Amino acid sequence: MNEAFFFGPADQQLFGNYHAPVAGDGQVLTVICPPLFFDYMRTQLTLRRLALSLAERGQHVLRFDYRGTGDSFGELGEVTVSEWIEDVALAVREGLDISGSRKVRLVGVRAGALLACRLPVAVREFQRLVLWDPVPDGAQYLQETRRTQATMVRRHLHLSRDERRQGMLEYAGHPVSERMLDEFRSLDASAYSNVPSSKLQVVSTLPVQPFPVAGISQHVARVACNWDTDIQDPMRPQSLLLETLIVCLTMP
Amino acid sequence: MSDHALTEEPLHFGEGGRLLGILTRPAAPPGNARKLPVFVLLSSGLLHRVGPRRLYVHLARELARMGFSTLRVDLAGVGDSPPRPGLTNNQSVTADYGEIVSVLESRLGRVSLVVGGLCSAADNAIKLAPADQRVIGMFLLDMVCFSDDRYSARAFIARHLTNRFAARAFIASYLNPARYIRALMRRIKAVSVPLRDRFKRVELPLRPDIPSREQVRAAFEAIRERDGKVLSVFTQYALHDYYNRRGQLARVVGVDGYWRFCTELFWPEAWHTFDLDAHQRRLIEAVKTWAAGYIHS
Repeated sequence: MNEAFFFGPADQQLFGNYHAPVAGDGQVLTVICPPLFFDYMRTQLTLRRLALSLAERGQHVLRFDYRGTGDSFGELGEVTVSEWIEDVALAVREGLDISGSRKVRLVGVRAGALLACRLPVAVREFQRLVLWDPVPDGAQYLQETRRTQATMVRRHLHLSRDERRQGMLEYAGHPVSERMLDEFRSLDASAYSNVPSSKLQVVSTLPVQPFPVAGISQHVARVACNWDTDIQDPMRPQSLLLETLIVCLTMP
Repeated sequence: MSDHALTEEPLHFGEGGRLLGILTRPAAPPGNARKLPVFVLLSSGLLHRVGPRRLYVHLARELARMGFSTLRVDLAGVGDSPPRPGLTNNQSVTADYGEIVSVLESRLGRVSLVVGGLCSAADNAIKLAPADQRVIGMFLLDMVCFSDDRYSARAFIARHLTNRFAARAFIASYLNPARYIRALMRRIKAVSVPLRDRFKRVELPLRPDIPSREQVRAAFEAIRERDGKVLSVFTQYALHDYYNRRGQLARVVGVDGYWRFCTELFWPEAWHTFDLDAHQRRLIEAVKTWAAGYIHS
């Protein structure tokens, strides 16, 4: 059973999708922090499949969209990274209220990993953070997104010079604010050090990128996600990847 | 809600609540709200109800500000709606559509509908429209189209003669005797092919069950008979594969009075998924202008 709903303050409503546990004791809540930009659309099916699988294994699961993304309210050009970090906290509180759980596990995907890792110190119930192909840091992620944007603009064969110039200023087709860019650049690899290493796990797909913090257990799912090339192809759920994520999220 | 002009409500509907859609409504419905059609945005391919770069979200909210209600929906097997095992794509879409109409009528009373969306969603709208009298409009982004008698000549000119490098290569190729031998061989082979097979419709990869020319014509005629309207927009995607001039759809559909109820736009500078902000904004403005016709009629 899953239930879609809006939550959060009246002027900043977020879209959430709650999956109730199908069996088991339902003591654990997993909150899925999705990726951004192209990666958001690409991973929707996989994250839904992950949520269903975790619910079948007895967990409460909450998926949500950050403000200015997906079905949530707001515009991407008007939101900031700090508001997205607040959204993670809001989602966790909402999930705890709905589920009554006392243990929270988080999944952070790509840039969602950078946002999710800011939360744990503030939440008493936090137990584990699993990162799927985390981006190394904010600055590098922005560069990568700009490269993708340039590829996207180049494939438009009939743009005027002005349209081409404007297009190159966008990030994955979105105009974003200077404040957003500054905040992203300030998210360096030390953000991951915020989480105690015993509570942090990384799931990497091929080719494996080294995680910037030493001493973190890294699980490899032998599939390729092609983040920088298949920018608009929705990813079909891949069992090897899902199994690896599920193992990390269900181990005691 | 975060926008005082509208409300949004996620709906689980259909058998066992299997389908998910978001119903967007104006917060203060205009006086003629009951007369205005409801927009149904069908999910496209594997993209869920949000649409590429939130296209469907933006459209639904802009339309609500004009007074229209919109349901953006995950068809079975897409986004948050599980697949219908054992059904073909067409059967599944037809079953979904029946449940979409039921939920809209249960929430809004008797409704008229504008159905559409991007790519496969446009194809689905074309197949659904003739059978349902409620449908008085179609909104079609990169719908299927068919070659008219001048398509190949236009494509040829565009490919070979529109820039000097291509033109040079073109002239060089005409000085190559191998070209004439190949052409002769093709001509000999063509004689043995039945005439009807020489004009096959364009096959589009990754796009199952595209409607036939007869289905397209039936859909357009149905809309005309209901005094409805059609908006079709073609982009660079269509340009590369099957459409290269505004008015081509009018010619191949061949429906009387086409230009009285149809708006056909050709934007070769835009990508299929309206990836650049300016293109998405331009599309939304075009849809709003077109939709305003329902308010004034």
